[in-house]
Order: sequence, then structure tokens, then C-alpha cells
Amino acid sequence: MKVLFTIATLEAAIRLSIPVALAALGALLSERTGVLNLGLEGMMLSGAFAGYTANEMTGSPWVGLLAGIVVGCAFGALLALAVVTIRANQVVTGIAFTLLASSGTTYLFQLKYSIGQKPPRVERLGMPPLVAITLACVAALWFLFQRTTVGLAMAATGESPEAADALGYRVVRLRWIATTIGGGLAGLGGAALTCGPLGLFIRNVTAGRGWVALALVVFAGWRPGTAVAGAFLFGLCDACQLRLQGTKTEIPYEVFLALPYMVTLAALVLRARASRTPAALAIPFVRGAH
Amino acid sequence: MSAVIADQPGTPPGGFVAGLGRRATSGGMVSQVLVPVTAVLAALVVGGVLIALDGVNPFSAYREILRAVFLAKRGLSDTATAATPLILVGLGYSIAYRARVFTIGGEGQYLIGAIAGTAWVTAGGVRNWPGFPLIATGLVVAAIAGAFWGGIAGWLQTRFGANVVISSLMLVYVADSALQWAVRTGIRDPSSFVPNSRPLLAAELPRLPGTSTHIGFAIAMVLVPMATVFMARHRGGFRVIATGFNPNALDANEISKRKIVMLVMLIAGGLAGLAGMVETAGASGRLGAAASVGFGFEAIIVAMIGRLHPIGVAIAALGLAALTIGFESTQRVLDVPSTLVGVITALIVVFVVIGDALASRGRDGR
Repeated sequence: MKVLFTIATLEAAIRLSIPVALAALGALLSERTGVLNLGLEGMMLSGAFAGYTANEMTGSPWVGLLAGIVVGCAFGALLALAVVTIRANQVVTGIAFTLLASSGTTYLFQLKYSIGQKPPRVERLGMPPLVAITLACVAALWFLFQRTTVGLAMAATGESPEAADALGYRVVRLRWIATTIGGGLAGLGGAALTCGPLGLFIRNVTAGRGWVALALVVFAGWRPGTAVAGAFLFGLCDACQLRLQGTKTEIPYEVFLALPYMVTLAALVLRARASRTPAALAIPFVRGAH
Repeated sequence: MSAVIADQPGTPPGGFVAGLGRRATSGGMVSQVLVPVTAVLAALVVGGVLIALDGVNPFSAYREILRAVFLAKRGLSDTATAATPLILVGLGYSIAYRARVFTIGGEGQYLIGAIAGTAWVTAGGVRNWPGFPLIATGLVVAAIAGAFWGGIAGWLQTRFGANVVISSLMLVYVADSALQWAVRTGIRDPSSFVPNSRPLLAAELPRLPGTSTHIGFAIAMVLVPMATVFMARHRGGFRVIATGFNPNALDANEISKRKIVMLVMLIAGGLAGLAGMVETAGASGRLGAAASVGFGFEAIIVAMIGRLHPIGVAIAALGLAALTIGFESTQRVLDVPSTLVGVITALIVVFVVIGDALASRGRDGR
């Protein structure tokens, strides 16, 4: 067990938690306005691919991050168009978007690098800028919801869109903005994965981290700070898993492989009932319907 | 969020689930067929554009697909084989989705079924049994194991309110870890250098006479009408959940609602577990570390395109399998990446979902 309690483990935990934390913040933002983003995994994956590709073409991980944000925002806007404006079922649309992103990135990646060819490692960003970006995002979200009128209007939209509408807030517009920026955050999270210490894209590189992020939002009760703490918990399990894989233990290493997901599941189970869900989550808003 | 997935009290049902209550009306009938057909055509057009962008004539590509499926020697047999796991898992999804239980964890239940079934038929003492009892018990063990895995997600939902979408997906990763352990240690073939189970030998599924398709396809084809009957008989029970217009009625039915969540998760899990064993015993011959090839995710697409109807599921699965077999051939012949088939099928789903929402908007006039 000694191998776990080192600075290296802690550093790995922070590194592994950043993409999940950013995606969780993105999900939280749209969910607070009432839009459930089950396309989160797909947006992360698209961001990861866009980030890797842009980074490889320009040689700059910063351009990679930017590309991740742009693609994530575009994907988020498409989701908003489908579920806010056209009012498609949010659960089914989100799952469909994730499937599309998964096969789309796989296809584009195969177009570029045929099977067997080794894609190059790209220029990597260190930890300090990524940590700074994550902390800035969580602070911005906290400020938005605690200190600004727009944030209050967004939260009202997620609790009672009719009331928000009656007060003169533009429900549809607020949901569009939150879903688009939320998608951008998820895309940034994905790009942080491939332009961060990994420096590589592989098929389905996000490995369910978008879904983990969605679980963490429930665990956190839709509070930005707690969501990031939850992401750190996931990162810690992931880091332990990576470190324990190399060591000889009594327990088969496959248990550690499953550990981050089991802990996420446990977090979801423990907090599912206690958590305060935005009342209008996943319910489309029709003006004048009530 | 816990309340969102299994039931959406007070939610005007949107999208394809809405088709349930409107089936009888003629407008509903038209959009039931028109939307998926348009979606398929639109996705094929987009696919054609992507093929053209890749520098290949899309018409030659689609002609090659038709040739590979309908004219090549084993085209139809291979299509039926590839469709089998999709039909089985897709049937389970369509039953669950009708009850608004949006599980996406079929892949995990599939793997657990494959592991348990393989463990049983390769166990010492059992593996010398004659073919029929060996195959039959193997399939039953797999279905029970899959149902157990699906039941976990159902139980977490009903007991703790944990979202089925997320929990079932988390369990996929746990199941894959279990697979890695099983083939490396648990049920490993001691004489094999790579992590593998023992070969299934006598437990392998026999071929259907005159074809190269295994009998798993026949099993799936028998289950299609069975699922149709099941859905018809339980329709009244499901409709409360499916439409969910009246939250008070749902509260009064809290017990039966929970029972239905459990029931559909057990059924979906059982069918996925069965699929895992059918694929291992019918197509692979032994269980390997890379058994997770994504049937559990493709079947989500199958269920949605098939309008959550068993016959629709069978048609969608055969269509998707034909595209897959066809694109494998276009990759060999024309060097078009076979992964394009995933893009096309995912596009079909996106188009179906959006088309349904547009159709229901048109009907409601808002």
C-alpha cells in the first residue's frame, strides 16, 4: 500500500481528474437550466479528437484546447437545437449524439491513420495551466450562480421555466446559452485529456468519463465546487488503479481497473435520493402550454 | 435526476416514445414508417457524400455492398449471423425503453452472460456432457447471469433512485474488468499462451441446415414473436409508465412502477446475456479478452430504428448487419473505411429522433 501514498499519486490524481471536472461543470451548467446533456461523453470525445488533430497540425496544445472548446460548443448548440427548440426527447437525443460522436471520431481517425499506423504524440501541456483553467471555470460557475442575475435566471429556468418566463426571462435563449457553453466545457475537458499529459488520441479515449461526470453532478447536488471535489475522488481512484497495476498484490489488478467506475457508482447511489434535482430537468418548455 | 429516467411524470411524451399512444391514428401510422424510412435514406445520402469526399464513387460503393450481401457466396448467412446478437440485445432494449427505462448497459450484461455461460460449459465434469444438454444449460446460465447484471442496475434505480442510464453504463466497465480477469485467471485455458477460455467444442452451436449460420439466429427468430406477444399482453401495464401524463396516478402505482423497472431490467439483461453466449458459442468458439465488440451499443440503435417493436427490431438488426457485412467488403475492394457504417447508423438514429419530434410538433400544432 505504501506505493499509493506518494506525491506522484497525488499528482496523477489531479491530472486524471481535470477532464472529468471540466465535463462535470459543463453538464452542471446545462442541467441547472433544465437541459439534461446525455451527449456529454460524445462532446468530450469530439473535443478530445479536435484537440488532438488541431494540436498535431499546428504544434500548439493551446490551439488544441481552443479547437476542443469550439467543437464542444458546436455540438452543444446542435443539442440545444434538437432538445430545446425542436423539443426532441432529451434522454434519447443525448444517447444518439454520443453514439454519433463515438463512431464519427473513430471514422475520422481511421481516415487519417489506417489500422496499424502509429499516430504521433503531440505537444503536451503541463499541469499548472490545466489546473488554473479548471479552477477558473469552477470559480466562474460559482460566481455565475451565486452572484449574478443571469445565473439566478438560469437556475429559475431549471426549477420553473413558467415562472421564469412570466418574469420576462427568455427561457429558450438561456437554455441555448447554457447548453452551448456546457458543451464547450465538455469539449475543453476532452481536449485537456489529449493535449494534456497524455498527448495522444486513441479510439474512445474518454472511456466513459463523460458518464462519470454526469454521475458526479448528481453526487454533487448540482454544486460546482462539490462536483470538482467528486472529480478529484474519481481521479484519485484512477491514479491508484494505474499505480497498483504495476505492483504485485494479492488482489487481481482487474479489481483496480473497475475501481474508478465502482466508486462512481457508489457515489451516485449514496447521493441519488438526497440530491436536489432541478425540478424542470429534462422537461421541454413550451411557451403558454400551462 | 433520479426521477428523470425511469419516469417523467407530467412530461408530455416527446419523440419516438410518443408513438406508443398514437399508434391507432393514421397520422401516427404514417410517421411510424415515414420517419425511419426518410432517416435511413438521408443517412445513406450523407454516407454517400462522405464516401465521395474520400475519393470513391458512392454508387460503386453501394453497389459493392449489395453485391457482398445478396450475391456473394456467404453474404446472407453472414448477415444473419451478424444480426443475431443485435436482435437479442435489441429486443431487450425495446422492452425496457417502452417502459421508459433507458438502460444502455447491454454490453455489460452481454459480457457477464458470455463469461458465466463459458465458465459453465468449460467447467471440469460439465464439459464432457453431450451436446444438447451442454448447449441448453450454457444458454440458460448465460441468460440468468445477464439478468442478474441487468437486475443490479434495476435494483439501484428502484432502491436508491440511481439513474439507470449512468449505472448500467458504469456496470459495462465493471463487466469488462471481470472479463479480463476471467480470461487471464478465472476460466483461462491452461494450455494457451494468450488469455483465452478453453475452446467450447461440444458446446458450440450447430449450423442451420444448408447455411453457415448457427442456430442462435433461429433462437432469435423465435424470440421475436414471443416478445411481440409479451408486449401486447403487458401493454396496459406499461402505458401508465409510458405516457406518464398524470403524476398522481404514477404515485398511486409506485409499487407496480418499481416492479416494472425490475422486470424490464431482468428481461433486457437476460436477453443480452443470452446474446453473449450465443455469440461465443456460435461465432467465436472460445471467449477472448477482446469479446467486447460493441453489440450492446449497436443494439441501442437497432431498438430505436425498429420503433421499439420486435419485428422492427429484427428488420433493423438485419439491415444494420447487412450494412456491416457490406462495408467490410467495400473496405477490402474499394478501401472505404468500414467504420463509416457506424457513422451512418448513428446518423439514422439522430434523424429518427429529430424527425419524431418534428412530426409530433406538427400534429400538436405548436
